[in-house]
Amino acid sequence: MRAWFRRPVVRRFWMILAALAALEVMTGPPGSTEAPTEGVKGSFLQSSSFFGLFNTVRWVVFLFLAVVVWGLVTLWLTYRTAIRGGLNRTLAAPRAAVRNRGVRRGLVLALLVVALILPHVVTDPFWQAAMVEQIAVYVLLAMGLNVVVGFAGLLDLGFVAFYAIGAYATAWATGALPLPPLFGVHLDPFWAIPIAIIIAMLAGVILGAPTLRLRGDYLAIVTLGFGEIIQIFANNLYGITGGSQGSGTIPHPTLHIGPLHYAWGLTPVPYYYLTIVFVIIFYVAFSLLEHSRVGRAWTAIREDEVAAESVGINPLKYKVMAFAIGASTAGFAGVVTASQSNAIFPSSFTLFFSINILVLVIFGGMGSIAGVVLGAIIIQTAAMYLLHSPPSGYQSADLYIYLGALLILMMIFRPVGVLPSRRRRREIGLAEAGEGHMDEVLTGDNP
Amino acid sequence: MGAFGHYLASHFTTLQKEFWYLFVGGVANGFLYGMVAVGYTLVYGVLRLINFAHSEIFMSGGFAGYFLMKAFVGSTPPSGLSSIGLIGLGVVGGGLVGALVATALERVAYRPLRRRNAPKLAYLISAIGASYFMFNMAGKEFGRYSVSVPQPYINHAVFHVFGAPVLMYDIIIFIAGLIMLISLDRVVQKTKLGRSVRAVAQDAETASLMGVNIDRTIAMTFVIGGALGGAAGFLFGLGTGVVYTMGFTPALKAFTAAVLGGIGNLRGAMIGGLLLGIAESLSVVFVQAAYIDVIAFGILVAVLLFRPTGILGERLGRAA
Amino acid sequence: MSDNIFDVRNVTLRFGGVVSLNDVSLEMHRGEILAVIGPNGAGKTSLFNSLTGVYQPQEGTIIFTARDGKEMSIIGRKAHRVASAGVARTFQASRMFSALTAFENVKIGAESHRGLGAVGAMVRGPQTRRGEKASDALTIELLDFVGLRDEANTISASLSYGDRRRLEIARGLATNPQVLLLDEPAAGTNPSEKLELTELIRKVRDVRGVSILLIEHDMKLVMALAERLYVLNFGSVIAQGTPDEIRANDAVIEAYLGSTASAEEK
Repeated sequence: MRAWFRRPVVRRFWMILAALAALEVMTGPPGSTEAPTEGVKGSFLQSSSFFGLFNTVRWVVFLFLAVVVWGLVTLWLTYRTAIRGGLNRTLAAPRAAVRNRGVRRGLVLALLVVALILPHVVTDPFWQAAMVEQIAVYVLLAMGLNVVVGFAGLLDLGFVAFYAIGAYATAWATGALPLPPLFGVHLDPFWAIPIAIIIAMLAGVILGAPTLRLRGDYLAIVTLGFGEIIQIFANNLYGITGGSQGSGTIPHPTLHIGPLHYAWGLTPVPYYYLTIVFVIIFYVAFSLLEHSRVGRAWTAIREDEVAAESVGINPLKYKVMAFAIGASTAGFAGVVTASQSNAIFPSSFTLFFSINILVLVIFGGMGSIAGVVLGAIIIQTAAMYLLHSPPSGYQSADLYIYLGALLILMMIFRPVGVLPSRRRRREIGLAEAGEGHMDEVLTGDNP
Repeated sequence: MGAFGHYLASHFTTLQKEFWYLFVGGVANGFLYGMVAVGYTLVYGVLRLINFAHSEIFMSGGFAGYFLMKAFVGSTPPSGLSSIGLIGLGVVGGGLVGALVATALERVAYRPLRRRNAPKLAYLISAIGASYFMFNMAGKEFGRYSVSVPQPYINHAVFHVFGAPVLMYDIIIFIAGLIMLISLDRVVQKTKLGRSVRAVAQDAETASLMGVNIDRTIAMTFVIGGALGGAAGFLFGLGTGVVYTMGFTPALKAFTAAVLGGIGNLRGAMIGGLLLGIAESLSVVFVQAAYIDVIAFGILVAVLLFRPTGILGERLGRAA
Repeated sequence: MSDNIFDVRNVTLRFGGVVSLNDVSLEMHRGEILAVIGPNGAGKTSLFNSLTGVYQPQEGTIIFTARDGKEMSIIGRKAHRVASAGVARTFQASRMFSALTAFENVKIGAESHRGLGAVGAMVRGPQTRRGEKASDALTIELLDFVGLRDEANTISASLSYGDRRRLEIARGLATNPQVLLLDEPAAGTNPSEKLELTELIRKVRDVRGVSILLIEHDMKLVMALAERLYVLNFGSVIAQGTPDEIRANDAVIEAYLGSTASAEEK
């Protein structure tokens, strides 16, 4: 007979308690080197209004929550099959509907309409700015990283590098850097778009061509380093990048095609529409790509590189391609950011940024375009909400703690993401059952 | 050509003048890299993956040392026996906290995935999440600014090598590093635990059939790697100060060292650390200090591309 | 002039200190069914991997001659280049793209020899659509050929062992090869599947004109199928000839005496 405190039911309680204690500290007040225990102490001992019901201290609330969560988890584990069966029955009709192509197109169209009228509904300037800078641009970035991580199965931890390259390319082409632009012509940011995309793509090829031969885990660390290196260069090459001061003189874009004239200005909404147009273009292009020969080749390489080579697929070529496509998407996002804010600083292109985008992809579901778009919208909106109306004790940098925890939780409980791609879900399931050769690709281990 | 030749010549003159000075600093850094690198190599040996969160074990050791020194170093710099005692305390404290954090990491971010036989990509992402979580948590609890560690010794030149001063700090690192790396080597070579680690590294399935407890061996690997990483964090903090992001760059370099020596190979990691430390230190002559990190990165990429098995070759089981 | 599809001359392959192939020479004629046999660890799969560019032998030459007479040296070439040139293969433990359907598996083979075409794929121009149609047609034809038409939409991981073998053959054929290398195609299949497989392999050669090189443990199958055999032992060729000659060869009997049991177990 096992001791009572080692029984699964009780052990589960300890685990939930530990997780909630961590949550308590995560959401608690900050400390400092002078008072390193203040944060933890405050996390447990500060008074709390218990959702406005009555006054108590934080640890009581969390203990209560732990018991509730434990009860729910135990109930779920006991009646799992029944609940799942019920859910499947109730969800059968809507699920079948979603599988229907027409319905799916309708849903996407409805979402699009919402996206288009949103700036007229949400008029708060904070949210209007957030919609461009923090949501629409991040959707784009997540879609780009999804090509690399989701489609090609390559873990890129230095995605920020290409975003930075896009932003600096814009500054360069518009004559806002110490380095004079090509032929001395100061271009309009709108025409910097193709230049930035091409430069970012070239950077992707230059970094990718040698390093994509590496095993997946080595690639991850090399890209991580590359992201840092780009920042070092941006910070120190005064004659080219303007050093740590960055550049503050990037003009707003204007468009003159025949009778069509438009000038983007200080207000965010026009940028929102510009970004949405590109989100739609990229969405359609990447969906077609996924179901094309190229998308199948990526799947083949991801699943079994040796077998893929045996049917004549050149893995390096396709990996470099994924890298270049991801990089050019990030490069475009860099143009939008640079031209909208007029200014770029090296300090904004950090590891935090790369990880943030990775979280969007993982949360949404790697390989699922709709998933990463949804994931980006959910997470970025939540992050902006926290910034807009922070709960007491919340500092903006605390967001990163939550994102880190989210990555671990997703890997433990739902590695396929909230809206998984069907292929990816199958793959991970098969890998866990010991089928397939996915790991070999990542670590170069032969079985 | 002439200008470039002149550039080289003038730099080589500087190199000649500064060689021993830079060399001593490089060796000290090299020991630190080596101590962190063995953590990567040990975990790689048994799990076949890079522990992306090792940087935060290093960081946690740094903070542990900082708080210990703050508590025990008085207003006048200690010397003699009390110095030795304090440094020992810091090393042990940093190592303990490092081992604790590593254990927690293994439990939370790795073990659930291992139970499920998850693909390696999931481990990498989970470890990145853990790393991100930990250093930002440290930022929240201990503030997001750099602080210098109260010095438990007087940092004077103890003796000179060819005119280059060898500082107290360097000597502390040499001695602590040597003791730890040699005892680690002995543990892995001679003890039952070491045999288990090597057995799991060579073939986990067979090892478990032979009665090796895989879970325990993996946990112990994290403990050992964590202890060395934490102690290195303390020693690094003594010289450079501590801040929540302090783990990132040294860990990237330690990883470079592990790859340079042949990942999975213990002695390789130590030698790789020394080589990288010295190479990096000497390169100061040729490039601006701001680009030092670029040198290490260049070495990493070059080794991965041209000799991915490193100097001594891979595999904990075979070559260690 | 002899019409050899493979000319292997004095190939030696080492891993560290271990010699996996020792001075191996072999000729394969166009259009024949050739088998390589030998006890476990004799170097058969190493030979396959050397012929397909997966391993790079340190010594010797391997020349592949295409139908149009163009010669290509295999050593030093990447596996995907060798595959594109017309050398298809299957694997000892079949390696499917497990999460994809049978149809998708074969289609990947069918379209691998087309160019990159990322831009074409993203705008889905007429050329891309034409290419898709052609690949679909070839895929269906091949699934039909190996008898897997009904399993087209089955996830390949849930196919039976014998069906996976067939699927691998279809995938290999989709790359339009001149020679197909089969690594123990009958391993793990039951007697009736074995019989069907023998039929299929012969059909591949007779109907599609693809030369066959196979490694096999099952002596009955080899003797029924192969027109010529090479016998490997400890990385060296110890005999070659027709099935009847091999049966009577003393050296072969000698080599197999110690390992008869293990060969039959398979």
